[in-house]
Amino acid sequence: MSNLIFSVMTQSLTFLPLSLAISISYSILRATDMTLDGSFVLGAGVFARLITQGCSPPLAGIIALFSGASCGMMVSLIQRGGKVDPLLAGILAYFILVSANLAVMGKPNINLLSQTTLLSSAFSISELTGWSVVACYSIAICIVTCLAINSRFGLILRGLGDNPALLQRLGKNIETYRLAGFAFTNLLSAASGCLTAQTVGYADIGMGFGMTLTGIGAIILGQQILRFFIKKSAPRIVFEFTACLIGVFIYFLAINGLLRLDINPVYLKMVLGMILILFLRTAVNPNLSRNVT
Amino acid sequence: MKNTILSIENVALKIPGVEKNILSEINYQVEENDFIVILGSNGSGKSSLLKLLNHHYQPTSGKILFNSHTIKTLTQNCHESLFTSLTVLENCYLYSSDRKKNPNYFAEYIKKFNPNLELKLNQKVEKLSGGEKQALALALCVLHPPKILLLDEHTSALDPKSAQKLMVLTQEVVAQHKITCLLTTHDLDIALNYGNRILALRNGKILQIIDDKNSNLNQDSLLAACY
Repeated sequence: MSNLIFSVMTQSLTFLPLSLAISISYSILRATDMTLDGSFVLGAGVFARLITQGCSPPLAGIIALFSGASCGMMVSLIQRGGKVDPLLAGILAYFILVSANLAVMGKPNINLLSQTTLLSSAFSISELTGWSVVACYSIAICIVTCLAINSRFGLILRGLGDNPALLQRLGKNIETYRLAGFAFTNLLSAASGCLTAQTVGYADIGMGFGMTLTGIGAIILGQQILRFFIKKSAPRIVFEFTACLIGVFIYFLAINGLLRLDINPVYLKMVLGMILILFLRTAVNPNLSRNVT
Repeated sequence: MKNTILSIENVALKIPGVEKNILSEINYQVEENDFIVILGSNGSGKSSLLKLLNHHYQPTSGKILFNSHTIKTLTQNCHESLFTSLTVLENCYLYSSDRKKNPNYFAEYIKKFNPNLELKLNQKVEKLSGGEKQALALALCVLHPPKILLLDEHTSALDPKSAQKLMVLTQEVVAQHKITCLLTTHDLDIALNYGNRILALRNGKILQIIDDKNSNLNQDSLLAACY
């Protein structure tokens, strides 16, 4: 049992920045940004390629993050001026990124097991030390994200998701804020990809497939559970991010639980999808938002 | 003598796909600190006139002369003027250009418009009542007072008591900040009780102009504008 919990926690830690990105994109910017799938792989791919080329791990990490941010800028520029539907823009950007990721990586899979990464020295001491460092990275990313969303910049992003026309009338350049918002979420996604590549020991072209939709499902699942327990009013940002934590943990618990029940891996995503559909169906209850301010 | 701050000269408006003119032969001058009530039934062209003034439409012919004044609009759908998923306080922060203002400042400011709002600073706007939302929208509109305020039937979604409260509040705010105000309505009582000038429209044309409500008031003509 403790093995199961440990495994779930470690998987959740690397997924956490991506889930925050999905939460900001879905709940705050009110956009289903499919690019997050692509920038997750790009973050992992750029980091792995640079490491194998002899680049220093910190520099490779920074470049990987900014490559993710550039994906966000790309999707924002595609939908600039409302000429392309946001969902379609995300799908198109993801479509482009499939090729771009392959071009960056040079091959579908890059092995990192024999390379020096940001985490390799910590993992060489012990697995627990390694995961503690991963936890530090994830927590630091969470704190920075919370501070950003609680700042005036975050408030404007929330205003942008709520009523872009009014925000524009108030003199804010909504295209600039949209660009910054998507760059930020895709940077988080790339950070998640970067962490995942280092913990699993490879970057793979297919590792981001379906991540965004899975993440949205996990977040909704977390929100459902949190709303069941929270009886008093809770600040929105705290609620959204706690829902992320819970949702991601439950999601990986479900995956690991199903695998331990010897479910054929072929049917794993189908079963998970059905569970998520159940939660999505129950999410369309307006009373569920009563406790969030 | 008052300054003319807005001049409408022989303006006509035609919208593609609509056969007849929405507005035609509109000549009118707005002077500083005027509170003008534009009276007319549905389809008389009063909202279209406001949309011309806030640049939503361009006149088909004629011209509208402005000085470079700030113009703000409040419509019957206050959701257009509010961030409904954000709290009252967050709305204040987004409207305010001064980042140093604190919650106490906004609490003091907003309670002048509706005392309940002071207690609901951290509540989402979508959970406020209709009257509270309109009071908040008005408060935010005049947080940085514009030179010209356009009110498009902003009380029409409220019950009579709330509507009256909001009208009294509007009159006070407009007088206090010396705002020039143009308000549309189909309610004759509002036209007679508030504002200092009346512009009655019918079928897109001016039916009657009343510059002094005490001297040349033809109530029958005004009543005709309402139906």
